[in-house]
Amino acid sequence: MPAVSITQPTWREKLKRFFLVDLLSGLKLTLKFNIGALTDKDAVGGKGIYTEQYPKVRPDVAPRFHGAPRLNMDPETHDTLCIACNLCALACPEDCIDVIAMDIEVITAGKARKKKVLDEFIFDTSRCMFCALCQEACPTACLELTQDFELATYSRAGFVWNREMLEQGRETVKYDS
Amino acid sequence: MKTLLLFAPLNLVDGLLLNFFSRETVNYVVWPFLQIGAVVTAVAVWALYATYLERKVSAFMQARLGPMRVGPWGLLQPIADAIKLLTKEDIQPDKADTYIFRFAPYISVAAAFIVFAVIPFAPDWGVITDINIGLLFVLSVSSVGVLALILAGWSSNSKYALLGGLRSSAQMVSYEVAMGLSLVGALMFARTLSLSGIVAAQASDTMWFILYQPLGFVVFLISGIAENNRAPFDLPEAESELVAGFHTEYSGMRWSLFFMAEYAAMIVVSAIATTLYLGGWYFPGVLQLTGGYNNLFVIISLIVFTTKMAVLLYIYFWLRWTFPRYRYDQLMDLGWKWMIPAALINIVWSALAVFTVQALEAWGGVNTIETLTGGLNLTAIGKAVMIAFGFGGLLVAAAMLSLLNWRSRDFNLKSQRRQIRLIDSPKGTPAVRAAATPATSEV
Repeated sequence: MPAVSITQPTWREKLKRFFLVDLLSGLKLTLKFNIGALTDKDAVGGKGIYTEQYPKVRPDVAPRFHGAPRLNMDPETHDTLCIACNLCALACPEDCIDVIAMDIEVITAGKARKKKVLDEFIFDTSRCMFCALCQEACPTACLELTQDFELATYSRAGFVWNREMLEQGRETVKYDS
Repeated sequence: MKTLLLFAPLNLVDGLLLNFFSRETVNYVVWPFLQIGAVVTAVAVWALYATYLERKVSAFMQARLGPMRVGPWGLLQPIADAIKLLTKEDIQPDKADTYIFRFAPYISVAAAFIVFAVIPFAPDWGVITDINIGLLFVLSVSSVGVLALILAGWSSNSKYALLGGLRSSAQMVSYEVAMGLSLVGALMFARTLSLSGIVAAQASDTMWFILYQPLGFVVFLISGIAENNRAPFDLPEAESELVAGFHTEYSGMRWSLFFMAEYAAMIVVSAIATTLYLGGWYFPGVLQLTGGYNNLFVIISLIVFTTKMAVLLYIYFWLRWTFPRYRYDQLMDLGWKWMIPAALINIVWSALAVFTVQALEAWGGVNTIETLTGGLNLTAIGKAVMIAFGFGGLLVAAAMLSLLNWRSRDFNLKSQRRQIRLIDSPKGTPAVRAAATPATSEV
């Protein structure tokens, strides 16, 4: 009784060995990929190229992807849509949002009134987990997590975005494709 | 005026040179130098761009893109690499044998490049020199490359380099035998050792020898790949075991000389395989098609030769990026137990085939041989017989090799097999008795 049991190859396996079937099928596979790459076939079905030319060609992220935050503005007046209600900060599980409001005098119907408006908005992206609960909480569709995924900076302080960055978006290098 | 106007400059240069030198000097000194310059440049550019091609082919086979950034489609990548290598520091290990360490790469490159002197790239001016022992010259000079590897491995004063050098020299020596033997079959048809003569024999027979000699071709190609230390036989450079083999300690330009020698040796093997088995520059109909324009004929033949070589070089890449590396004992096993017997079977089988054809001519009354001048030229019946013999030889050899290696497929040492007790009923005394010791503790 052998200590290591080895299965005896069947006739079919022996013939496959004799005619080098497995070696040839391996060669066929690599050749298929090579031809697929040269003829630029579809990557998944046609055995083509999977690589994306990232900085030149930006990949399409999934529609439900949550990336860099943005404060939306009114497209006509360019006033912020934020009403400084602080709901996003309350909704945030990580406490990474600070809404700083200020009171201004507004004259409505001939009467001077106090109105709470947004002064500064601090969003700490280093602590954010991109759950988008703030986006859900926002009553005016102002705060939004966009599809932009390039959040890396050179310093820890760079992760903290202020109102200007949130409204204008951060500058990123664009490469010509 | 048989010369096409487009290729007139060649004759113009010839005429110009005749103003300064005698006819002999032009024919035997100036033109050879020009040819050598062209070949060396072409091979150097190839060695440069082979890296690019290799990276691209490997990338495509792995569903990647490969180098894309330097120039369009990364076409300037080899130039960037060359600049990097040229400007790199030439580091030498402490206590290395300085002179040998510095000299080894030059031997390697020279051995690889000298061979191109006898290779017929095309008829007429496509041959640098045609010596009547061309094939012998190729085999003897290309085996000098082993010396460079041993010197490099020894002089580096590093265990990895030494082990790599030993491995590669052992490998190259053992595969050289199979390589030399596999050529003998083709020589029986060509009846000459001159490489131009071999091509001429195929041209006058209007047949590539691969059809007569498929076994010889396969054995030659496999031994050629193994002799070049290319994957799947790149044991000397096994990264996971030996860092980089014999050129572990080399850097900068000296390293790239070894690299260049490797790629030049690849061309040598492809060129010899093309010359012997794929008809060299011969392609049916080219001579008739060019209609007597000699320079045009030579240039088209050159393109034919290069295309055939390119196919073989692609096979190099293809095999490299498909198959995993052999284990060292498997490598030696393949060399000594499969390739050399296969080459010997090929010799006997080819002799049998040639004898059969001659016997049919002499005694059978079948007209098989057309003429014997300039190689063995066969009639249609003779060709059919020879091709049948050739492809039958593949099966015969495979069957015989399987019988030869019936009991030694996976392990070389029978005692080793007994020790882990793969054999059910050992003949004689087993190395380890099952009753005396527990089976598991022995392994």
